[in-house]
Amino acid sequence: MASLLSQLKDDIRFSEGLSACMNCGICTAVCPAAAYFDYDPRRICQLVQTGEEQELEKLLKGEEIWMCGQCLSCKARCPRGNVPGYLIQSLRKLSQQSGLFIHSSEGRKQIRLKRRIGHSILETGYCVHPLMVEPETHPEQGPVWIWALEQGADLYRRCGSNYYGEGEGGLRKMAPGVLNELEAIFEETGGLRFWEAIERGAEELKLNQES
Amino acid sequence: MRSSEYINKDEVAIIGGGPAGMQTALVLSARGFSVRIYEQKEQLGGHLKGWHHLFPHGVAASDLLGALKEQVLARAIPLHLGQTVDHLQKVGEGWELWQGETVVGRAGVVVLANGFALFDARRKEEYGYGLYPSVLTSADLEAVFRKERPWPFGPDCAAPQIGFVHCVGSRDLKCGSPHCSKLCCVTAVKQAMAVKAFFPEAQVYCFYMDLRMHGLEYEELYRKAQVDYGVRFIRGRLSEAAPGQGKRLHVKAEDTLQGRPLHLQLDMLVLMSGMVPTFVLEQQERAVFFKEPVFGSGFVPVQGFLAAGSVVQQKGLFASGACKGPATLPEVFADAAAVACEVEQYLKSLKAVAHA
Amino acid sequence: MTPLLWKDYQKEVPDNHYFFVRSCIRQTFFPGAEAALLDILRNSLGLDIFEDRRHTTCTGIAYHCDLVPLETIMTVIARQLSLMTEAGYRHLLVSCVTSFGIYLEMLDMWQHHPEMLEQTREALWKSTRRTFELPTALVHTSDLIYHLRKPIADRSPHRLVDKSTQRALRVVDHVGCHYAKIFPAGGFGGAEFPSVLSGLAETFGGEMVDYPERRHCCGFGFRHYMLQENRGYSVSNSRIKFESMEAFAPDLILTNCPGCNMFLDRWQYTLAEMSGKTYDGEGKGIPVLSHEELAALMLGRDPWTLGLQMHQVQLEPLLDKIGIAYQARQKYSMVEGVAGVPREPGVLKVSFE
Repeated sequence: MASLLSQLKDDIRFSEGLSACMNCGICTAVCPAAAYFDYDPRRICQLVQTGEEQELEKLLKGEEIWMCGQCLSCKARCPRGNVPGYLIQSLRKLSQQSGLFIHSSEGRKQIRLKRRIGHSILETGYCVHPLMVEPETHPEQGPVWIWALEQGADLYRRCGSNYYGEGEGGLRKMAPGVLNELEAIFEETGGLRFWEAIERGAEELKLNQES
Repeated sequence: MRSSEYINKDEVAIIGGGPAGMQTALVLSARGFSVRIYEQKEQLGGHLKGWHHLFPHGVAASDLLGALKEQVLARAIPLHLGQTVDHLQKVGEGWELWQGETVVGRAGVVVLANGFALFDARRKEEYGYGLYPSVLTSADLEAVFRKERPWPFGPDCAAPQIGFVHCVGSRDLKCGSPHCSKLCCVTAVKQAMAVKAFFPEAQVYCFYMDLRMHGLEYEELYRKAQVDYGVRFIRGRLSEAAPGQGKRLHVKAEDTLQGRPLHLQLDMLVLMSGMVPTFVLEQQERAVFFKEPVFGSGFVPVQGFLAAGSVVQQKGLFASGACKGPATLPEVFADAAAVACEVEQYLKSLKAVAHA
Repeated sequence: MTPLLWKDYQKEVPDNHYFFVRSCIRQTFFPGAEAALLDILRNSLGLDIFEDRRHTTCTGIAYHCDLVPLETIMTVIARQLSLMTEAGYRHLLVSCVTSFGIYLEMLDMWQHHPEMLEQTREALWKSTRRTFELPTALVHTSDLIYHLRKPIADRSPHRLVDKSTQRALRVVDHVGCHYAKIFPAGGFGGAEFPSVLSGLAETFGGEMVDYPERRHCCGFGFRHYMLQENRGYSVSNSRIKFESMEAFAPDLILTNCPGCNMFLDRWQYTLAEMSGKTYDGEGKGIPVLSHEELAALMLGRDPWTLGLQMHQVQLEPLLDKIGIAYQARQKYSMVEGVAGVPREPGVLKVSFE
């Protein structure tokens, strides 16, 4: 089994994300995740820079790597040209690929996200669409959203949308051929295999809970 | 074809009349060589003209400059003030100094002493220099000390909150300046103490990554700033400055030793502008052009590595002081003397060849 | 040295002939905005904007939720470019800021790693038998509106001025993080002082107000918004922005990212419900508009066909200030007849009779 570090190095986002960090904290200072969680992108760079397998494994099993909000505000500022946000992408990918993500509660949420957004892509051709935004799980959307969903096609079509209809325009229903092409791309480029890794993690969790 | 007889081989032309140029000229003159100084400004002094007082002892910059100028005058070193040189042409073993289409001087040896430029702090856009009046550079603050410009906050502000940002345009690949400018650390400490002397109630913060207190008595100055002046040192690079409440600034950094993001409201932010090249050498066969630097330009390259003064690939062309890279004044003086010795060796070696 | 100032940086934007790709979030929450954009470009300005019904999500949201490998999103992007190529276009017009960032990133990676471009060509061919050319211009819809701001303003009967007092309206902008923070050269004004929205507001006579947290993220956070239990991240970061802009009493928040537009609208309601606080002093909230919504209003489009009744913070106070006429009774009446009205929030005021 290749070391975690060498697997990380296979991901271009790892090498683009971190060459050498001087620990100046310019990333943490503007990081919205650092403003909200007990999270410090500088510290992640520092840990990864040690290159130690044990540290890497801890990181991949831990909660921290899941806190980044991917705004990439860090990229605009780093004086060394590092991108902690890219580094996080490579760590999260390996955490899922290697199955280590099931050790953290934040990591385990990837299973739900995959089944929700991932499946939406292949089923509808969209990451997000109105019927996914159920008022029960999106109370912050306010009463206007409940009303908008109740109106559905009447409201959306008045605003120029196709709202799940056949043909052209916004929110149009994707033709089966289109969805087949998307799925073929996911198959060819490892998207589906990646999802299988996430599902294997889910399976392992289930077994752990049963035993 | 002009012959080499046309040039007085023993004559040394020094380009730049700042500390490096003056000191190189003084040493060579004292050792019996004929030197001339070409200075593009109307006055000698370079950046020293703009400083108020000097680290580590607080000597007035004008005193040092006055003493140097007096010696240059006493030695009757010919000065070409207001004279720009934009390229050199090799003639025989010597050089012609050109400005545009005109020859403005001739010499056997040329010493580059054109010094450095201060990093244009506007390029670090996230600090808002040139946009927010409360953001100054270290050079602007010296002008405040010299009473040439006002403090950016009103007299009602007895206890101003003030931040110094180290490494502005230094150690920053985004700005094309990978190098450490060396003197900003100690300058910030010096200026922080001076500000506290003006406003004893002020809270002064220095945002640094590494404090490089390598010079004689610099470390002692750092301790003094902490012990006697209560300057607070925060290890973290300032991420941005934005307009805050009233005329204040809102700044963000991470206190990396505490591992937590930090937001402060400041009345004045001082950017320690680093040292960058004033020109790049474009070397052609038998000619050297001084060109406008571009993103990522380096300083003048020299041969060897210890106190080297001889410019790469060019016989009879030397470089002295901060045009080779960031240097403090004591280093510039030591380097100028060393370069003068190299020039002397070179001139002697030419003579030896001629006699043989 | 000639200073390299991104602030003065002007991006090159072609005048015409675009292949248009939509935004998942924009069409979900602000369907009228995309429709209005196309209407303005095609009908008011007579431009050639082509859309292929076979284009899909770029998968950007899933990518930033770490659910899609790099190779996969690259190939999905390549498929969109293949549709563009097939239609004979080389200028790509992108509605979504996340997508815009994704396109910039893929083009950048292909430029620096040509082998990845080759792999992508091969993967796209194997999976779909498609080929593609790279676009010669990558333009966000806010870039194009900014580029066309003068012709738009020339046709506009309105200005961003309080009609009764002649006071310039105070505008704060929030530019989506992925517009220029990832690739400063991709956006007008670069990462620190993007001018794409401020320049637009100023052209219409508005007064731009700088505020301390202008560059702070709205708090989308991708996975953090998509997971209900993590959504506090999103609320809390938007709150940082509202707290910061409150002192400047803005009349309008202007955005160019569909997600930001939604968050900055909805979180005002959420925060009002949570804490009883609104950020305008009158309990109505600060109106939020995107660049297309603003342009459409200024060109005299009907606010309700534009879908402004789908905002939770109501726009009437702003419309009244500008002097835009609207039919109050049509706001909630659909094509098929009156269809009820949304419930009133607990705190945020939504009716002004």
